[in-house]
Amino acid sequence: MTHQAHAYHMVDPSPWPLTGAVAALLMTSGLAVWFHFHSTTLMALGTVLLLLTMYQWWRDIIREGTFQGHHTPPVQKGLRYGMILFITSEVFFFLGFFWAFYHASLAPTPELGGCWPPTGITTLDPFEVPLLNTAVLLASGVTVTWAHHSIMEGERKQAIHSLTLTILLGFYFTFLQGLEYYDAPFTIADGVYGSTFFVATGFHGLHVIIGSTFLAVCLLRQIRYHFTSEHHFGFEAAAWYWHFVDVVWLFLYISIYWWGS
Amino acid sequence: LMEDIQTKLDNYRTAPFDARFPNQNQTKNCWSNYLDFHRCQKSLTAKGVDVTPCDWYRRVYKSLCPMSWVQKWEDQRADGTFPGKI
Repeated sequence: MTHQAHAYHMVDPSPWPLTGAVAALLMTSGLAVWFHFHSTTLMALGTVLLLLTMYQWWRDIIREGTFQGHHTPPVQKGLRYGMILFITSEVFFFLGFFWAFYHASLAPTPELGGCWPPTGITTLDPFEVPLLNTAVLLASGVTVTWAHHSIMEGERKQAIHSLTLTILLGFYFTFLQGLEYYDAPFTIADGVYGSTFFVATGFHGLHVIIGSTFLAVCLLRQIRYHFTSEHHFGFEAAAWYWHFVDVVWLFLYISIYWWGS
Repeated sequence: LMEDIQTKLDNYRTAPFDARFPNQNQTKNCWSNYLDFHRCQKSLTAKGVDVTPCDWYRRVYKSLCPMSWVQKWEDQRADGTFPGKI
């Protein structure tokens, strides 16, 4: 009889960490090849490998947890720590871009005209689409909380509806932001204003897309009865990530869109 | 010639300490006085008044600013692309 005398999960050997590392290598070297030799093949290959790795690795985690029961309470605790630490690292990532923004905007150089916004920059009105975007994300925070309570209370239909609504709101934000980007009177090449604006909001938008994808996976899993009212950590992780994305937007809105206008 | 150099040294003057710019980086000092001179000149000539009070700013910026910066700003003002508010 081969039983483990502990509640932890000794994971079976898996090729996905290796394929993930190879994907990272191909993507980075592919980026360099694109810069110097105008070929995107290596980078595209790396991206495909990355997508395959993510799909199969996370699929395996779902199999191990939901279908095979390996996610005992201590294992789930470890997963919680992991997600919290990851989100914390993302906070620091954004902190860097906020640092850059404040460095440039608190003491604007003569090249900008000694003022912020710099001379020649027409900023976006913070009380137009950006305010709508704020409302959209705040509303999505409400709907994702509704979804969580629905799951905990065993309300299957409501959980599906509120989770769907959350995802739709996420898409709406992305759509609106896309329009803003297209119609903006300035570009990323417009000095430090353009750089700080588009890098900070751009990475935020990428995180909205990632978060929406995570929530969409949760929706699929909820429809397929993966979650119980007591155990639905995948959903909780997605909800934490979504709230983080919302909070980053609030800081972006206050700092760059409002104070910086 | 020795006397000329001596008198030159005695008459040596530069911009005095300005407490608004206490640190080593004097960029803002130069920029501020350049702007102030041109603003002074613009507003006083608009009123048709003597521009002598503007001399102070001119002498300070001429002492402090690198010539290349002044040249660049002069060219920008001629072009209409000067970023500062005058």
